[in-house]
Amino acid sequence: MSGAQSGPTLTRQVFEYTPGTRPELDHDDPLHGELLKLNMGPQHPATHGVLRLGVTLDGERIVDVDPDVGFLHRGKEKSCESLGWHKFFPHTDRLDYVQPLMNNIGYALALEKLGGIEVPPRAKVVRVLLMELSRIMAHLIYIGTLGIDLGAVTIFFYSFRQREELYKVVDAYTGHRMNNTYVRIGGVYADVDEKVAAMIEKFLADFPAALDEIDAMLTRNRIWYDRNRGIGVISKEDAVAMSLTGPTLRGSGVNWDLRRAQPYSGYEEYDFDVPVGSVGDCYDRYLVRMTEMREAAKIAKQALDKLKTVKGDVLIEDRRYVLPPKDLVHSSMEELIFQFKVVTDMRLPRGEAYHGIESSKGELGFLVASDGTSKPLRCHIRAPGLMNIQALPMLAKGRLFSDMVSLIGSMDFVMGEVDR
Amino acid sequence: MVIVQRKELTLAERLYLPEIFRGLSITFRKFFEKPITRQYPEEPLPTDEVTRGQPRLVVKDDGNIACVSCGMCEIACPAYAITIDGGETDRQIEREPKRFEIDMLRCILCGFCEEACPKDAIFMSNELELADYTRRGLIYDMEKLKRPKSALQPRIDYVYKINKRWRRTQA
Ligand code: SF4
Ligand code: SF4
Repeated sequence: MSGAQSGPTLTRQVFEYTPGTRPELDHDDPLHGELLKLNMGPQHPATHGVLRLGVTLDGERIVDVDPDVGFLHRGKEKSCESLGWHKFFPHTDRLDYVQPLMNNIGYALALEKLGGIEVPPRAKVVRVLLMELSRIMAHLIYIGTLGIDLGAVTIFFYSFRQREELYKVVDAYTGHRMNNTYVRIGGVYADVDEKVAAMIEKFLADFPAALDEIDAMLTRNRIWYDRNRGIGVISKEDAVAMSLTGPTLRGSGVNWDLRRAQPYSGYEEYDFDVPVGSVGDCYDRYLVRMTEMREAAKIAKQALDKLKTVKGDVLIEDRRYVLPPKDLVHSSMEELIFQFKVVTDMRLPRGEAYHGIESSKGELGFLVASDGTSKPLRCHIRAPGLMNIQALPMLAKGRLFSDMVSLIGSMDFVMGEVDR
Repeated sequence: MVIVQRKELTLAERLYLPEIFRGLSITFRKFFEKPITRQYPEEPLPTDEVTRGQPRLVVKDDGNIACVSCGMCEIACPAYAITIDGGETDRQIEREPKRFEIDMLRCILCGFCEEACPKDAIFMSNELELADYTRRGLIYDMEKLKRPKSALQPRIDYVYKINKRWRRTQA
């Protein structure tokens, strides 16, 4: 580990007891120099879900942290293997539940890679639009929850107000505010029509000003600055060694963004900047996420403009994977057979595929293996949050206990995805 | 790649009074904005044909339900919420469900049943509220699920609209 931490060295007196003697007790210290083992969570408001942290404390200083994950384990990977390819889509919503559409798209991309399916151009644009809106949604949660953890309750309301606008957009598009399930193999279920496009346009027009407001409240705020700067410094080497991804990695100054490094869904056609940090502390990660929201709004704007020129279907015409249109099912025997076939026994070819997308937390990857039947042989989900949690012990050692809250907030994990 | 700018706080930014007034100037502005709070039960969210509420069975104009108990929705349901017992009928369609239950406590309103149904018999309504005193009361049977076709017509039209695809290849 790098020596980036600079807390005072630990002073630890170990209480030694020899039978028959009475040790000198330090009456000001109720623990008499012993270390305190404290359970933070699983029901702690600052652990963002059900994460249990076994923290060993020496007074106010953290000696060790032992993250204990798995309280929200719902067997998602196994569900995928027993439900089948298509029926797993609603489950992906519930992985990282602050950005359901992004997870849908990640899973769909993996299946499309496995099946060798080429998505129509308009569907790609719609997907980019949805992914960037999801990224804004997720980062707004990050700002809001970190704010409320560090005492800036106002920020929580400001960011949720913006999120509410996005909920309205997503509600108008998919019919649900959360857990949307609107992505299908080979595209998206419905097209973004003029009404929704106008709503997104309006959101994107108002969003920068709202973000400026949050920016003005936080970035140069002394409390925010002091509680984030220099806390949890991750060096470039450590970040790579711990396989961190996403804003956590970029905060440490590594320029690695899957949208640039391995473009998917036509990201190479969009013009955007990848923000990276210089120090690698919580403050850098905050700045990276703030800039990323602005960039996401920029990409969404470009995608919206593209929608005006790129026309066509949003679902591929391939009756092995996609349900035929409803009216044709009524009039044609073949289409009815396809309808039954796709619902009951949709098969993907034998093989194995992995696709990672740059989600708001990092590389969200799905590894799917097929033996040619209608159910996956194996589905593995690479959750970026799990790696982020692994970095916690390294960052917390030697710091004050109150810094733990900043650290947890800045690693930005969602337990639904970590425990899956 | 851009490197995010981080500047040390200036002396003025470290002082209490100027900063507190700068912060308050932002929050106080909100006093003069229109409140956005929605008084939920009195003011429910507007619903339209896009809203995917609870699934409902279509009752055709002749008074019979359109369902032929093919079991496609049962198979498509990722939450195992639908239970169908099929049976014979004297009507021309020959089969109809004797028992059709949707466990609303399991239903996740995904809409897969609507997509899978080949007979336009099940559609997502705009009914969202769900409350009862017992679990049994939330397992909806056929009588509770039946809705006249006219009530679901906007949704049916909408589903047909988004299903308008692949027309180039149709002769
Ligand atoms: S909406 Fe989804 S979960 Fe509910 S009954 Fe239909 S298929 Fe099942
Ligand atoms: S898919 Fe339609 S016709 Fe078949 S059982 Fe379900 S509701 Fe009835």
